Amino acid sequence: MAVFMDLNLPFSSDRSHLGSIIETAAHLGFSTIAINYVFEPTAKKKQEIPTPTPISELMDGLPVVQGRSRPVRVLNRLTVVITDSSHFRPNAPEYRRFDLLAVQPTTEKLFHAACMVYDIDIICVPVTEKLPFFFKRAPINGAIDRGVVFEVSYSAAIRDSTMRRYTIANAVSLVESCKGKNVILSSAAEKALELRGPYDITNLGLLFGLSDGDAKEAVSSTCRSVLLHAGEYYMLNSVAVIEHERHRKQFFFFFFLDQKPGRRPGSRKADEELTSAN
Amino acid sequence: MLPTHDLDQTPRTLLVSESSSFLDPKNRVSAQVEQLRFNHQVSVLLPECSSAPSHLDSVLNSFSSFYLIRKLPVYELLDRHFLEAAVYHGAVYGLSYRTRIDEDNSIALTPNGHLTLSLDKDSFELLGFEGKPSRFNHRTATRFVVSVDLTDSSMAPGGRGYLRLLTGLTSRLQLQTDFLLSHHPGSGASLQSLLSRYDWSEHRPEVSCRVLSDLSCPALRSCDPHSLLEWLGAVDAGCHKIPSCHRSPVPTRRRRFVTVLTHLCSLSCRCYLEQPRLESWVSMTVHGFVDSPVSWGDREHGFLRGGENFYTLMMFHDHTYQLHLATGAHDACPP
Repeated sequence: MAVFMDLNLPFSSDRSHLGSIIETAAHLGFSTIAINYVFEPTAKKKQEIPTPTPISELMDGLPVVQGRSRPVRVLNRLTVVITDSSHFRPNAPEYRRFDLLAVQPTTEKLFHAACMVYDIDIICVPVTEKLPFFFKRAPINGAIDRGVVFEVSYSAAIRDSTMRRYTIANAVSLVESCKGKNVILSSAAEKALELRGPYDITNLGLLFGLSDGDAKEAVSSTCRSVLLHAGEYYMLNSVAVIEHERHRKQFFFFFFLDQKPGRRPGSRKADEELTSAN
Repeated sequence: MLPTHDLDQTPRTLLVSESSSFLDPKNRVSAQVEQLRFNHQVSVLLPECSSAPSHLDSVLNSFSSFYLIRKLPVYELLDRHFLEAAVYHGAVYGLSYRTRIDEDNSIALTPNGHLTLSLDKDSFELLGFEGKPSRFNHRTATRFVVSVDLTDSSMAPGGRGYLRLLTGLTSRLQLQTDFLLSHHPGSGASLQSLLSRYDWSEHRPEVSCRVLSDLSCPALRSCDPHSLLEWLGAVDAGCHKIPSCHRSPVPTRRRRFVTVLTHLCSLSCRCYLEQPRLESWVSMTVHGFVDSPVSWGDREHGFLRGGENFYTLMMFHDHTYQLHLATGAHDACPP
């Protein structure tokens, strides 16, 4: 088993608000969290991908995780809501500022492309509306083979009863297609009160059709594999070697022992360590 | 609809119940209860008394103290002097403190000289010592258990296995954890050399007492084990109703380390029972640590959504007893 992680805490420019959410997450027992910057490109005007704010500017000191002696680990994540295939630019340098990259596809074609082609870590499943497309086994299995995970957020279910129906229906449909593999559960909490503890989320996973073991992994081991996958992407690009999946894993084994998962070149974490060394 | 698992099912639990008599020479009660080594709470429920009997009080107060060492590097448990003075004599118990069995690395040292390290995947691969994947891994192997018999000849100081583990713990995986250490009565001096090198504090188990009145009581001999345990749990939690007078001394703080001398406890409870009373029974419940790497019989213990492992001994006036041993989902069957 791995430590508990919540990989979707929406960014808010109100420092105290975000600070209270991070403190609540640490108090509930999450050891790693990811601040999510959502980017919705529209065709009308050119928008810039947001730059992640360094965590030292957001909080003075990171809170200690309840029951342990280490502070909570904070990562940065970018979610791109794509309504057109031109919205996601593969290998865009701005994506490298983030530790995790996620997309939220809105059509079946984009979902298929996200599963099979795009170099991403997380695919967000819509929970606030009826599913605009059906899940098919083929792209889902393709995503599972590539190490991409599917994310279901639960805070919409806490806010509203209609959203609760959509969340459960969409999650059940996803779990039926992917057989419980590669699913993560995260909060997308806009307020500290919308966060729930890891064992509560495990119970929620049972409602979605996950088994006991799968539901617990959805908050722990699968999240860890996402972070490792994000780190793998970095190693692959820097070495610029394309190999067969199996060989790649053996080749990079020795690098992972030193490599902190989730770091991409030029990411906020690397910048922060440089500035603190100076 | 969907092939989901039945939502009515709770995670698996196991309950083994045995009833026998203390007078029967073949009764296994001591052998069974001694297999749950790491316990943090003992609850004794005595009907019809307004104050604890003196011999029970003296037994509870005679529990030896235990030590909490801050940031102990785990390689110190392989220190030659510590092994010779404490481990080989079978006198010491140790458990890592504030480590969660399903998130962190946990360590247990049992008096029979077994050192168990429950490690996550990265730590296990760094350590480079033989181990087995956990029995409770789900799809992928994310937890590994390294179990070492320190009394075995291959682990003698200077031996190959010993040096390999020591090198792993000193140079590759520098595991450091808060550690609870306890000893059999009379062998406290064996720990002094280890304690003197680190920041440590001594603790004693807390004893607290509560008088409960207006308590309804089921027919204890004849009711089924699940209802009995449910009733005892409700009493312990403080939800009680109807008339009868009971008193239950209950140590309140969790995470206090008690290597329970249940033998002495049960003897004093039996003395209490010999006196004539209307309600002639005593119950004693011992709770094991939920985050310990080992549980019944030194077999692996895990935490799915609850890590309960405990036993309840119901003793009656005529020297008969009922022993209920319980575990949760990620556990081996109790003896």
